Amino acid sequence: MVQRLKTYFTIWSIFGKNALQETFVNRGSNALFMLGKIIRLAMSLLFLFLIRQNVQTFADYTSDQLVVFFLTYQIIDLVAQVVYRGVYVFGNMVRSGEFDFLLVKPINPLFRALTGKPDINDFLFLFPNLAIAGYLLSLLDLHITVWSSVWFIILLVNAFLVVTALHILVLVTGILTTEVDGVIWIYRDLSYMGRFPISIYMEPLRFALFFLVPIGIMITIPTEVFLGLQPSYSLFWVFFVGIGSLFFSLKAWNWALKKYTSTGS
Amino acid sequence: MQKYVTLLKLSWQNGLVYRTSVIMWRVRQFLGTLMALTVWLVIFQGNPTAFQYTKDSMITYIFLVSFLQSLIISTALNGLADRVYSGEISNHLLKPLNLFGYFAIEEIADKAKNIFFLILETIILFLIFKPMIVFPTTGVFLLFFVWSCFGVIINFFITLLFGAFGFWSPDTWGPRFLFFMILNFTAGKLFPLDILPTALQKVLYATPFPYLSFVQIQLFLGRLNLEEIVSHFLLMLFWIGLLGSFVTWLWKKGLKNYESTGR
Repeated sequence: MVQRLKTYFTIWSIFGKNALQETFVNRGSNALFMLGKIIRLAMSLLFLFLIRQNVQTFADYTSDQLVVFFLTYQIIDLVAQVVYRGVYVFGNMVRSGEFDFLLVKPINPLFRALTGKPDINDFLFLFPNLAIAGYLLSLLDLHITVWSSVWFIILLVNAFLVVTALHILVLVTGILTTEVDGVIWIYRDLSYMGRFPISIYMEPLRFALFFLVPIGIMITIPTEVFLGLQPSYSLFWVFFVGIGSLFFSLKAWNWALKKYTSTGS
Repeated sequence: MQKYVTLLKLSWQNGLVYRTSVIMWRVRQFLGTLMALTVWLVIFQGNPTAFQYTKDSMITYIFLVSFLQSLIISTALNGLADRVYSGEISNHLLKPLNLFGYFAIEEIADKAKNIFFLILETIILFLIFKPMIVFPTTGVFLLFFVWSCFGVIINFFITLLFGAFGFWSPDTWGPRFLFFMILNFTAGKLFPLDILPTALQKVLYATPFPYLSFVQIQLFLGRLNLEEIVSHFLLMLFWIGLLGSFVTWLWKKGLKNYESTGR
């Protein structure tokens, strides 16, 4: 088992090195990508701080707590981009038949499809984001305890299970329809809604964002626990959705593989 | 003229070939508007005004941004630089059609498609939120329509500008991405620009970006005085003239350089 994990880590390191080389080949474009991301982050934070200055409370949250929801979204979204960027090119792999080559290799095709193209820009962008998050947390008026921080980390791991499950389901859609772009961007837009607490949205959208596309389980509940607030749903449901969604997505992947017709090749 | 009408029909049909993609694109736009409406309604809970906007004027603002996003900012020519670099425009150059006219027709078909879907989405959002929309006088409404057309033209020229990069480089997504990021907030999509610090507003008004939605909405909401209306009108004409001349010059230069590599 340990040997197998080492092998996969070595393979992932090779993917990372390849992506890094690609990034350096297109230095100018990547610098502009990075600048665009910085502008987007700066503007989002500016908007949140303008709300903070002008509005005392936002739904049942203070404006300081609102900033923490955004920071949690930002970190989870970035980590997902760093690790699972390969999903964005999967549709093309199915259409061109390149996916056939992954199926015959002695590594899990799901691993390759999910993690085959780490996003170096987002990896580099993650560190200033963490630094900014730490700095902002030190400025805000929050009541964070050691226990709430420990639970936050545990819930972030659970959130990563949900992120993984959602990306696998996008791959499943890719195998069945060859269409990935629209689905992954809808996922991005839905997760973008998690910049604000999901509990602000009306039913049945709120329910859908907690249980069908569990953005709320990914972002809202970990943040609520971190801030010492009563979570919108009990932690039993949070872990149930986290583990259940991963289990369901893996079953769906295995089912979809049997439907793969290799039409592109 | 008949050939352009035929081209318009073909472009409309082309735009609807991948129906799932179209529906997904519209769902994404719908979600963006839904989020903006929800966030601003929450901000206005218990506050009659915020950022010098009343609740009704802000809701009107969000609906108008959604409309102008589909009319002005969305474009069928996102991949134009790739079409140039890959040599695909050789096909267009051989046709007895004006190249910019060809692109303009593609844009019109795309915008017509967006507006068709937008009407359906707006009805749904109206039924959900039951907003009170602030309407201007007929004269202002007509001027709003004219300014929206100016916005379409400015965005068309900016899109052609980015498309021209394809004459010289295959790396065209970097600048385009940066443009999208800047446009995302400078057109006032997430929040009105007049809630920003004054210094930042002054910088933004030195660019054409506020004319891609924000200024039109300010006119609609009656937040501009006569002097501002005249100056914005003239500045929009200035940007159209400047960008139009520059893009024409750049494309002429690019086409001289064009080798149709790969064709």
